[in-house]
Amino acid sequence: MKQSRWTYARCLSQIFCLAVFLWLFLQTEYRGIDQLPYPVSLLFRIDPLAALADFLAPGSFGWKLLWPALVVLLLTVLFGRFFCGWICPLGTTLDGLGKLVGRGRRAYSPSWRRVKYYLLIAMGTATVCGVQLLGLFDPLAIFLRSLTLAVYPAYNYGLNRVFDFFYKHEVPLLSSAVKGSYPLFRDYLMAFYQPIFALSFFTLLVFLAIVLLERVEQRFWCKNICPLGGLLGLCSRYALLQRTPQALCADCQVCDSRCRSGAVRGSGHIRSECLLCMDCTGFCPDERVSFGVKASLAGAPGVDLQRRGVLTAMASGIMIAPVVRIGPVTHEQNPYLIRPPGAVHEEEFLQRCVRCAECMKVCIGRALQPALLEAGPVGLWTPLVVPRIGYCEYNCTLCGQVCPTGAIAPLKLPEKQKNVIGLAVIKKDRCLPYAKGVECLVCEEHCPTGEKAIILEEKDILVDGQLRRVKFPKVVDRLCIGCGICETKCPVEGASAVRIINEGESRRKRSALLSTPYG
Amino acid sequence: MTRIDRRTFIRKSLKTALAASAAGCLPALELLPLPACARETPPLAVRKGAEVPLLVRETVAALGGMDRFVRPGDIVVVKPNIGWDRTVELAANTHPEVVKTLVQLCLEAGAKFVRIFDRSCNDERRCYTRSGIRDAIEKIRSDRVSLEYMNSRFYKELEIRGGQTFDRWEFYLPAIEADRFINVPIAKHHSISRLTLGMKNLMGVIGGNRGRLHYNIAESLADIASVIHSDLTVIDATRILVANGPQGGRLQDVRSPETLIASPDIVAADAYAATLFDLKPQDIPSVVAAARRGLGVMNLSEVRMV
Repeated sequence: MKQSRWTYARCLSQIFCLAVFLWLFLQTEYRGIDQLPYPVSLLFRIDPLAALADFLAPGSFGWKLLWPALVVLLLTVLFGRFFCGWICPLGTTLDGLGKLVGRGRRAYSPSWRRVKYYLLIAMGTATVCGVQLLGLFDPLAIFLRSLTLAVYPAYNYGLNRVFDFFYKHEVPLLSSAVKGSYPLFRDYLMAFYQPIFALSFFTLLVFLAIVLLERVEQRFWCKNICPLGGLLGLCSRYALLQRTPQALCADCQVCDSRCRSGAVRGSGHIRSECLLCMDCTGFCPDERVSFGVKASLAGAPGVDLQRRGVLTAMASGIMIAPVVRIGPVTHEQNPYLIRPPGAVHEEEFLQRCVRCAECMKVCIGRALQPALLEAGPVGLWTPLVVPRIGYCEYNCTLCGQVCPTGAIAPLKLPEKQKNVIGLAVIKKDRCLPYAKGVECLVCEEHCPTGEKAIILEEKDILVDGQLRRVKFPKVVDRLCIGCGICETKCPVEGASAVRIINEGESRRKRSALLSTPYG
Repeated sequence: MTRIDRRTFIRKSLKTALAASAAGCLPALELLPLPACARETPPLAVRKGAEVPLLVRETVAALGGMDRFVRPGDIVVVKPNIGWDRTVELAANTHPEVVKTLVQLCLEAGAKFVRIFDRSCNDERRCYTRSGIRDAIEKIRSDRVSLEYMNSRFYKELEIRGGQTFDRWEFYLPAIEADRFINVPIAKHHSISRLTLGMKNLMGVIGGNRGRLHYNIAESLADIASVIHSDLTVIDATRILVANGPQGGRLQDVRSPETLIASPDIVAADAYAATLFDLKPQDIPSVVAAARRGLGVMNLSEVRMV
């Protein structure tokens, strides 16, 4: 296939952008500096869907973080869906993997194209009504989530097994070289600790499903389902960057079968569907096709939406909200629903969080895990602190630094150290001094607050008929911030004998009592 | 070539196999933990001073200099306490200047390589950085020194001969296999072991679920100390933590005795350090347990102050 210079430029841009995003992904890790030196969540700061979620959430719009998303929207109004064809890392991944999984060439009914608009309208309406699900379908969130929760942990696991092999077996020449390169890998190319996530497999399945859609049709996801594509499509109806000739040529019609987005029709060039891949400038046998800036608003074939479909989408969006909200309030039902420090009030949190998984990637202690149903039916993939897996590091503020939508507010260290995310509760039927009369102080030893929130009280008790003086751990509620290091380090096997519950968290709205039960 | 018949072949093979398995029975072929032997009257050096590098040099010189502990060509492990994500003034980790000067002394004594590591409680990267020890080690600018993250592949389960609470535990091989092991704890308050000193610092070179040691901390620490022999113990009491240890976090819990205690006898060093907290050696259960097992001398009148 003949390719024009434009196609090469597009491919280069795709590879470059993917490389930048992957590099930023690798930088989303503590590397000895408390304040991350790069804008690692750039991917979501240019994401108009994240901006939409932020805009519709209660509280003020995060101009400072999200202005690049508005720039993208503005450029889309001028130039069309260049983002989809030139920048989007999920699009690039699909283009790259398409050949691998085999590409379908079935021409689907163009009515499928409407699905993405309807999905966008339904999600948008639901968001207006207070239930934000945009993040579930946001292609950038899907990309980073799959990378963080599935691909990257698997990559680390694989590499670690390779290193294990060479550490265990002396292979002449190879072993020393591999071992010598280990620090380099550990410090720059791998996660310091093997990432562990509860939803790895599930997340991978979703990702694979989207990749496998390539077997149906090239860029099936982008053309038919992607709500970000829908949003950008709506914006680019009157884009100034236009194709000449606009419609199919009567003598050739090759664009009809070759255009990957089916954007060239007899009626004209549908700018809302064109991904600006520029392939047509190459495959046109007569080299007739060119793109140029033209300011003519007349005769632009519009987005093919039907009133009935739009109304149905809006109605379903409106329906979702009350149905979700009539359920029991999850964060009051589930005491183990613990959010990272700086998280805004649960209701606002669910509306702001776009499930991008940046916080889970950066979390230094592996404390943050994606929720399945723990945070309610719409809390899928939102970050939870699961202290038995990892604790919140006392001197770390990374999750607030990477959150692109302000769901986790960026806190300064002194504020963060006072931010209560939960409360430790000792389970006396499991805790060794209480249950067995055996001394243990691991929770007290690790408690990071300057004046310890876990203290030991000495008491005489009867153990096997003998009086023995034993130290018992006790939580000082007013000092505990719920970081969970006690739960992580508790040496009791299986479930911890001290557990964090979300009682008394700072983000909760409380009436202004002069003294609360939590001090 | 001499031909042998089948009968001879079988007889010879059996003999060889017997000899080989007999050799395997010899205890010498197992990786034996070094026995920590108590000297008759161990020397103990205690010095005071505000300038840390000078203080370290004076204290080690009092014991006869680093040459007495490190021979040219030795691989040395210096094991500070880098357990916590705390800055120097909060007295949760060994003072970086103490570590740095000791490493320099090892290099001056001709050590081939000096390795520094600790299995920290908080995130290792944060601890190494915020303790100031990473900076201090980098300032030495020598390719014979490395501050290393512990590599999970190097833990090995070893038998603890005569262990009272454990008969086996995972140990960090580079610490065991080094020619010399220099133990550099900081003296701190600790709720169960009363104080965390030299013996408690050895917990930084073992693997496994360390929390389990706390069920019977005194005997467990003696078990560990019976496997890892400290050639030299230098207790950093330039700053000490008198409450809310071992993690600390409040300046009002920090005192500054500006003291350094050094001895080839870990028990004697720990015993003396107790006195800085107005405690007696017998108040520290791990010191008592270790002395009873002959790992060192706890009676300070039996110690030769130098």
